[in-house]
Formats: sequence, C-alpha cells, structure tokens
Amino acid sequence: MLWKRHIPILIVAVIGSLTLFGWFIDEPNIKAFVNDDATQWFDILASFAIFLGGFNLLKMQLQKVLRKKQGWQYSLFAIGGFILAIIAGFFYKGNPDVAWGTHVTADGTLFKWIFMYIFAPLGATMFALLAFFVASASYRAFRIRNFEATLLLVSGIIIMIGRVPLGSSISSWFILYLLVLIGGIAINSVFKNKQYTAIFVSVGIIIVTSAGSSMGWPLDQPGIFYLPHLQEWIYMNPNVAGTRSIMMGIGLGIFATSIRYILGIEKSYIGE
Amino acid sequence: MKYISDLILKMSSVDRRWIFLVIALSVILPLYFPLGLPIRPTPTTQQVYDTIDALPHGSKILVSCEYGPSTKPEIHPMVLSVLRHLFKNEHKVYVTCLWPDGQFLASEALDLVGRDEYGLTYGEDYVLLGFRPGNEAVVKGIVSDIRKLYTIDAKGTKVTEIPMMNGVNRFEDFDFLFSASAGYPGTIEWVQYAADPTNVPMSTGTTSIQVNEVMPYVAAGQVQGILAGMPGAAEYEALIGVPGIGTSGMDAQSIAHLVIVLFIVLGNVGYLIERNRSKKY
Repeated sequence: MLWKRHIPILIVAVIGSLTLFGWFIDEPNIKAFVNDDATQWFDILASFAIFLGGFNLLKMQLQKVLRKKQGWQYSLFAIGGFILAIIAGFFYKGNPDVAWGTHVTADGTLFKWIFMYIFAPLGATMFALLAFFVASASYRAFRIRNFEATLLLVSGIIIMIGRVPLGSSISSWFILYLLVLIGGIAINSVFKNKQYTAIFVSVGIIIVTSAGSSMGWPLDQPGIFYLPHLQEWIYMNPNVAGTRSIMMGIGLGIFATSIRYILGIEKSYIGE
Repeated sequence: MKYISDLILKMSSVDRRWIFLVIALSVILPLYFPLGLPIRPTPTTQQVYDTIDALPHGSKILVSCEYGPSTKPEIHPMVLSVLRHLFKNEHKVYVTCLWPDGQFLASEALDLVGRDEYGLTYGEDYVLLGFRPGNEAVVKGIVSDIRKLYTIDAKGTKVTEIPMMNGVNRFEDFDFLFSASAGYPGTIEWVQYAADPTNVPMSTGTTSIQVNEVMPYVAAGQVQGILAGMPGAAEYEALIGVPGIGTSGMDAQSIAHLVIVLFIVLGNVGYLIERNRSKKY
C-alpha cells in the first residue's frame, strides 16, 4: 500500500507543487529545478516511455495474433514492421560508411529507405484518402436542417472557396447576383406568389447592375461580398472568439485537474 | 420541373464511388493542365513575409519542423519557401524537430535549399539539431539551456564543434522563430513556453485544419502572421517569386473545393425537394 499508493501520491504532490509554485516564487534553486532539472527528468522519462510504448504495442499485437482475434492478420504487418524497424535501427545499417546513430537519417541506409519508400508514401496515402471521404460525407450529411446547420454550411462554403485562388477570382458582383437569386427563392417559399418573386428578383438585378456599372465592376468591391475578405473576417472574428472561449475553458479544466492531482484527489494514474 | 426534381433526387442517392471518381479527376486534371489562377497573398501571409524580411541580415533563426509525411504536401512547401527567404537574406538557420519524422523532412529541405540551391556550408550557415523526445519539455529545455538538450546535432557532431553554435546557449539567443507545425506539439507549445515568456518574435505555418486554434495567437500579436495550409504556402511562394509545389497544387485544390461545394449544394437541393414531397403526402 505504501509503495503502490502513498509514495506515488506524495511524489506527484511534491513535484507538482514545486513546478506550479516555481513560476511564482523568486528563488533561484526552485527556478533552476523548474526550468532545468524537471525538464531534464521529463526528457529522460519520455525516452523510456518510447521503449515502454514500443513493447506495449508489440505485446498487444502478439496477443491479437496468438488469440486469433478479429483482424489478426493485420497485426502480422504491424509486428513485421516493428521487427524490420528494430533491425534497421539497431542491427543493420545498410551503409557501412555511416556511423551508428546518424544512420537513421543518413542517405543510403536501410532506416532512411524504410522512411522514404514505405512510411512516407503510406502516410501520404492515408491522408490523401481524406479528400474522398470528406467529399462523400459532406454530400450526404451536410444538410441545412436548422438555423445553426445553415450558418455552419454557409461559413464552410465561404471559407472553402475564399481560401483558394479561385475565390479571389470570383467577383463581389457575382455574389450579389447570387444573393438576389437566393433571396428570390426565399421570398417564393414564404409568400408562394410568383409576382412578388419576379418583382424582388427584377428590382434586385437592376440595383446590382446599376451599382456595378456606376462603380466600374471592381472585383473586390463592395468588400463585404468579396469571398477572400469574408473568409478572413470569419477567421479573425467569430472563429477567434469561439476558439478563445474554448481555450479558456480547457485552461480552467487543466488547472482544476492539476490541483486535483496535487491534492491527491485524482488518482487515476495509480489505477484508482 | 418534375423531371429535374427527379433527376436531382436520383443524383442525391448516387453511389459514392462516382463521387470518388469526380474528386479524383478534379484533383488530377488541374495538375496536368494548370489553370494558372492568380494567387493573392492574404494579410496573415503578408505579415509573415514582412516580419522575416525586416530581420537584420545575419540574424540567428530557429526553424522548428513539427510535421510528417501525411502533412508534407501542406507544410513542406512552406518550409522550402521560408528557407529560401532566410538564406537569400543571409541568415543563420538552426533547425529543431519536435516530431521524429520531422527530422527526415527537415534534412531533405535543408539539403535541397541550403546545400544544392544556395551552396551553403553545413555547420557554418545552417545546422540540423534534430529530434528530441519530450514534447513541450523539449521547448522548455531549449528556452533554458539548448546545450544541455542538444549535445550533438543530427549528424552526430558535437555541438561544441559546430562553428555557428558559438554564442547560442538558450532560446533568447535567437532573433526569430518559425514553427512549421501540423499539430501537437507545435506552434501553441512554442508560443506558450518559448516565444511569449522570452519576447522572441515568432511566425508559423500550419495545416489548414489547425489555423482555427492558432488564429487567436495571431490576432493577439503573439504570433507574427500565419501561413495557412497549402494556400498559405502558395502565397509565400508568390511573395518570394519562386513558384513551387504549393503553387502547382493550388489549381487542383481550387477545383476540388469547388466540386465539394457543388456536391454539398446538390445534396441540399435534393434534401429540400425530398422534404417538400414528404410534407405534401
């Protein structure tokens, strides 16, 4: 009980308090501990964690193969890849002119070959597949079911088109004509009257055409309807506001959790 | 009218393999037949360029590579362009990596731009310090004492034997930081543990999906501009006048985005028709 429970809690409480209060106490030794020693300790622990993570992965995959769980065949590839990487990392350089240690990034070595011709193409392929799934999913699931969904959809479209060069080639006047047509559809669905719709669309087109002719049809004017400006505004205003509030919430959550760890209330790290 | 409605409804339930085919074509065709759409820099890209351009010649610049092969198409063109800009202005470039695979890509970028294009000398004009595990602890380590963390560089050379490491002991010895980041650990950790506490200016280049969470730091002036995804890379290439992978990918991305938007619109028109019909009956 003492070794498994009390001592780990004591270590977390003492080290946690030191690193937290080290930011507020102007004492050279505590500052040196927070800035140098604690960081070095973390680096050493992180290096060991790589081994721990690696062996844990191997154990899990081996168990899956031995117990013939669903999809165990894929685990063979994971184990094969693991063993191949260990051989390339620790036993066979593939290029005798390169020193051990630098062989992981040097040209002509097995490790570099694995990275360049197996890991990199596979990683790129996995990510590239996202484009297809995003297209298919947005086609089927992105629906204007309510006001919030419509807002999300419109902002998404503005950002998707406004971010790319195509967006900067679309004139504000085209967006204005589009808005007049969308307004016409809205009026038609509300009033169900063809005359009202025709009058709204005709007047809208005349106003936009007259304004465009008098201003000389500048591509980015009026700026509020120019997609690159609109997407920039969305990024810098509603997005920043939303993200900041989320970040503040996360920050408060981290603070509360840290205090729980330091006070010994949160004990999930010892399996409680 | 009914015929059109039926057609749209039919298209709404099209097999997803057709969608995949259209997306594939909309990406592949513009790569082979470029449209040459004009690239205009956004204010945030311009800010990165202006900040880097205003640095005095011979400044010490830390470039951190936090990305892997999956995000290479978005981040790597930025790194190449920023390195070109830095080497053109005769800055000293120090490269670190918070991601293990970032070291391979950083090495590739330095060889291409530093060694092959500018004919610079490793160790005198640029150095690859490499990857260290520990995420934000590495950032904190660089801030307090870089020599404790990096005793050797990525080539195994002792840091004390690298000429350009003279006078570089901690993060504050650098004049500027550029973080090429695809996630955690990355830009946010550099802001929180390095740039903000030390007042060393920094800029960043991130994946499009990450822009949202980094933008508050840009708006607050803690980060001097941001290169946002592949469009940001293409804009930077346009600013330095060296078109590269970012520029060539822009036509494909433009058309792919347009196609996805058209799919969304078509799907919604189908949804509205279906909803109206179900209300009627």
